Amino acid sequence: MQFFFEVLIGGLLSGVMYSLVALGFVLIYKASGVFNFAQGTMVFFAALTFVGLQEQGLSFWMAIPATLLVMVLLGLVIERGVLRPLVNQPQISLFMATIGLSFLLEGIAQIVWGSSARGLDIGIQDEPIQWISDRLGLNVSKFDLSAAAIAAILVAVLAQFFSRTRIGRALRAVADDHQAALAVGIPLKQIWAIVWAVAGAVALVAGLLWGARNGVQFALTFVALKALPVLMLGGLESVPGAIVGGLVIGASEKLAEVYLGPFVGGGIEGWFPYVLALVVLLFRPEGLFGEKIIRRV
Amino acid sequence: MSAARTAGDVMLKVDDISLAFGGVKALTDISFDVREHEVRAIIGPNGAGKSSMLNVINGVYHPQKGTITFRGVQRSGMNPHRAATQGIARTFQNIALFKGMSVLDNIMTGRNLKMKATFLEQALWIGRARNEELANRAKVEEVIDFLEIQHIRRTPVGRLPYGLQKRVELARALAAEPTLLLLDEPMAGMNVEEKQDMCRFILDVNEQYGTTIVLIEHDMGVVMDISDRVVVLDYGRKIGDGVPDDVRRSQAVIDAYLGIAH
Amino acid sequence: MDDSPGTFPGLMFAHARLRPSHPATREKDLGIWQTWSWREVAAEVRAIACGLAALGFKRGMHLAIIGDNRPRLYWSMTAAQCLGGVPVPMYQDAPAAEFVYVLNDAEIAFAIVEDQEQVDKVLEARPQVPTLAHIVYDNPRGLRNYEGVLDYDRLTESGREYDAAHPGFFDGELAHIDPSDVAVMLYTSGTTGKPKGVRQSHAAFIAAARGSAEFDRLTPDDSIMSYLPMAWVGDHLFSYAQWVVAGFTINCPESGDTVMTDLREIGPTYYFAPPRVFENLLTQLTIRMEDASAAKRWLYRRCLAIARRCGAEILDGRAVSLYDRAAYAAGNALIYAPLRNVLGMSRVRVAYTAGAAIGPDLFRFYRSIGINLKQFYGSTETCAYVCLQPDSGVKLDTVGLPAPAVEVRIAADGEVIVRGPMLLKEYYRRPDATAESIDADGFFHTGDAGYFDADGQLKIIDRAKDVGKLNDGSLYAPNYIENKLKFFSHIKEAVAFGQGRDYVCAFINIDMGSVGDWAERRNLAYSGYADLAGKPEVLKLVHECVDAVNAELAHDPALAGSQVRRFLVLHKELDPDDDELTRTRKVRRGFIAEKYAVLIDAMYGGERVQHIETEVKFEDGRRGIVSADLRIDDAKPLAPSAARAAA
Repeated sequence: MQFFFEVLIGGLLSGVMYSLVALGFVLIYKASGVFNFAQGTMVFFAALTFVGLQEQGLSFWMAIPATLLVMVLLGLVIERGVLRPLVNQPQISLFMATIGLSFLLEGIAQIVWGSSARGLDIGIQDEPIQWISDRLGLNVSKFDLSAAAIAAILVAVLAQFFSRTRIGRALRAVADDHQAALAVGIPLKQIWAIVWAVAGAVALVAGLLWGARNGVQFALTFVALKALPVLMLGGLESVPGAIVGGLVIGASEKLAEVYLGPFVGGGIEGWFPYVLALVVLLFRPEGLFGEKIIRRV
Repeated sequence: MSAARTAGDVMLKVDDISLAFGGVKALTDISFDVREHEVRAIIGPNGAGKSSMLNVINGVYHPQKGTITFRGVQRSGMNPHRAATQGIARTFQNIALFKGMSVLDNIMTGRNLKMKATFLEQALWIGRARNEELANRAKVEEVIDFLEIQHIRRTPVGRLPYGLQKRVELARALAAEPTLLLLDEPMAGMNVEEKQDMCRFILDVNEQYGTTIVLIEHDMGVVMDISDRVVVLDYGRKIGDGVPDDVRRSQAVIDAYLGIAH
Repeated sequence: MDDSPGTFPGLMFAHARLRPSHPATREKDLGIWQTWSWREVAAEVRAIACGLAALGFKRGMHLAIIGDNRPRLYWSMTAAQCLGGVPVPMYQDAPAAEFVYVLNDAEIAFAIVEDQEQVDKVLEARPQVPTLAHIVYDNPRGLRNYEGVLDYDRLTESGREYDAAHPGFFDGELAHIDPSDVAVMLYTSGTTGKPKGVRQSHAAFIAAARGSAEFDRLTPDDSIMSYLPMAWVGDHLFSYAQWVVAGFTINCPESGDTVMTDLREIGPTYYFAPPRVFENLLTQLTIRMEDASAAKRWLYRRCLAIARRCGAEILDGRAVSLYDRAAYAAGNALIYAPLRNVLGMSRVRVAYTAGAAIGPDLFRFYRSIGINLKQFYGSTETCAYVCLQPDSGVKLDTVGLPAPAVEVRIAADGEVIVRGPMLLKEYYRRPDATAESIDADGFFHTGDAGYFDADGQLKIIDRAKDVGKLNDGSLYAPNYIENKLKFFSHIKEAVAFGQGRDYVCAFINIDMGSVGDWAERRNLAYSGYADLAGKPEVLKLVHECVDAVNAELAHDPALAGSQVRRFLVLHKELDPDDDELTRTRKVRRGFIAEKYAVLIDAMYGGERVQHIETEVKFEDGRRGIVSADLRIDDAKPLAPSAARAAA
């Protein structure tokens, strides 16, 4: 039983990290209807920039705001340079544009910072927390827990921002109905720019955490692949969906690996989330939290 | 009650406006004016060019010919956003509300232009952001009280019946504290009772806030009761202009409504 | 408590001294709850009183109060009492034409009204009310250009000036009030004939309020939502008399439509509603649960089954098995507590219902989820204070034990008669009616038929004059049958006929919300009330309800003969605006029998279909004709079964 809980908690905590990546997708999809294929690359880009800046001699605390600045600027440039010229084009064109964007970003990042894999140290060790092991006999990683806490704070701040401020409200308005938002004088372009900037900031947090865990290397872009089943599960339009979806995927893949793995030969962590997501799609095509598609006769 | 309203100076002057889409003429040589504090109706059968006229005033369409003078300034390069900053608010024929957001949030978006705090202040919830949010919320609550929609404050707009959605849209327009309020068929699709409520609210707005109102309707009956002056359009041309009683008696208007061939 | 003041103004100023900063009144305005302490309320009352005095309001005069539950309207009642005047709260939803009668009957010279809507109505009535001189309004919205009406703020402003200019005036007036003075005049709803003004003294209402407050141990820390018509004796007892006597907090909702939300925000400890409100709440809840996911529905049903089994027993403190206790605790955490929260009754300690019979299922539902819902019995003439159910003796079909200081007897003809300090002083300008209802021994004849059960609790069957006999001599209690029918959520109103006939027939009004929802679930399209009511499927649905009622009647040997043989579903909703119901939604049987004589003849004449045309009044005052061919259905009476009569 104790082992079960250990696996479950480990899974939930790593699920939070998936949620973080999925969140970037959801933000942009909600506000502009674009499925941003480059989100994974943005995570990689953020991590690499951070490490690169540190190598240039910037301290940890200096590198964070500097990278944040870079990411926000990147978001603004993407919005202005790639998406704005494509306004009113079919969704698929926008999607293709983001695929191109992802290659471009990969290239730029590696030209500027080199392509060798590097470690990233954010000062939190991946070791069991003594306090918890002593009392409950469970091994909970300090790193995982901190990562989850950081992600939770980020989500809480975003939620506040969305619900309590003018820009947050405008963001939701744009997400709800572009035409109506334009009609009441909400500056659509400004809102899109802000969304991309926020998505850039979220990518930075995800990049730091993932980079610290897996090392900063090209494979980091693949975390986006982990976010896909999360999105299928939670729905593309729902922030709570991204969070719950991440938790469900994280917990279930770890449990499946441990309990089902031996029977099918192991390594099911890689594909199990997709199977789970497909099963959900079968019953709820809009995802667990997606907006219900109402068909009227 | 309408005797108590005092129409003032000319606020909006439309001069010789012509608008065409491709080869199709939507408006031809339209001129009329709107005085301060009055309720001015634009009526006409379907396809008469009423909505086009409203969209010209609002800056959505740019007429090929003619000028619009608003508060003594002749306008150029108009767009809806600039119209909003000048104090022109409007509602739409096909309700343009945010269906997934609450009534309160929808109306708060009407205050967008009144809020000045920067992105950073809002992100950190410091400086002007907090006080501004509260002050604007208070203003919005007044509008909610005025239009008697307290009971649906937290309800997502998409769940409301049509008549109430129309009222929420009026509330959002009012939240901007407009000097000129454009209403595009505020009573379309309503039942008798809802129409009466809407009439009462329009008159109350006009009386309480002194807001100048331009409204479009194709249902003549309702409009005649609440308007000070009426412009009648038919096939993009002005065929009548005056106080309701005169317009009602005008042969051209009667013909237009009875569908006499042109 | 013997030295406590014997008048409402005396009590209020005592609160202002004893608990000056304790909240007395709250109102939600512009989305925020505003609070006034007892000191602030007392100061405001003084200003209103002096303002009225400056306008010429004198001892013995009547002050009409018309509007929704607004703090200033409650305060105005005390203000009038301070000057030895009598507040006359009136039903705010009545049309102008109905105002005329009461305004004239009470010789109203002063009226304090809520808003433009009420001002318009009073102004419409004014030409026919020569005495009416002053109209004060609370909410100035839309009234800026009105002539001859006065803003509340101007009234209190001039009141403060008058007070400053006439030191000693106010205290002098206060000293003049005597507990035996008339404190309030409430109009009966007029089920039969014109409404009558019931004059109650300070002493009577204070006795009723004090008796009931002590009975339920009300303290200044209790709070109540005031949302029922101020003209109703129930609201006057709960939101005014008990408020001033016990010193608790009254909360005025933002508007009639926001009561549910406001209840949740305030979380009152003391709650009062007629059965209709409890019924609406449950209907809404049921509809929402039917839309919920299968898992939630299952849980809801499971938990309610547990609550039905042992919830009421646990509330009564009776012995319940350990297993049931544990199951109930789990249900409480999962369903009952959230449910109470949704209903705004998380903190409710005592809840009352009265005014009409409450359905056993309904009553048991609320008690089983842990809400201490009780019944009481009373009328306008008795300050709504005759019988109360004690916490440990709550029954479904009784109205409780005689309240402290109240004598209750059953007259020879079965009528309930009462005596005590809470009785009315008189009907205003109706010595004949006063003499008729109070006998030589000082007993008031309630007009209700009833009896005491084995535990000494009073059980009311029907109006005494309505209880009649069928041609074969069997007993027939129309309200009893109607109430049984109305306990079905699909049936909103029912009217039974049978006096001097061979058998019982009934008109049915379906409940638009409940049946409409039922129809939607079956993809049954309908365009409006008349259309829905005429559907054969709906007739069948109603038929099932009638059968169930007949089955119940068959179990009661005394009433088995009065089973419903024939019925029809009316083509229009019975409406107070068409005089078919009273303002408190009681059926006016005689009027309906006359208006729909064609239908009654058809039912007893054995017709299967009857055409009818009815004039209806719309809300905007226009009139129209509704016509329909109504189907008359036969219900099968069951043989009397004495076997389950004990049940």
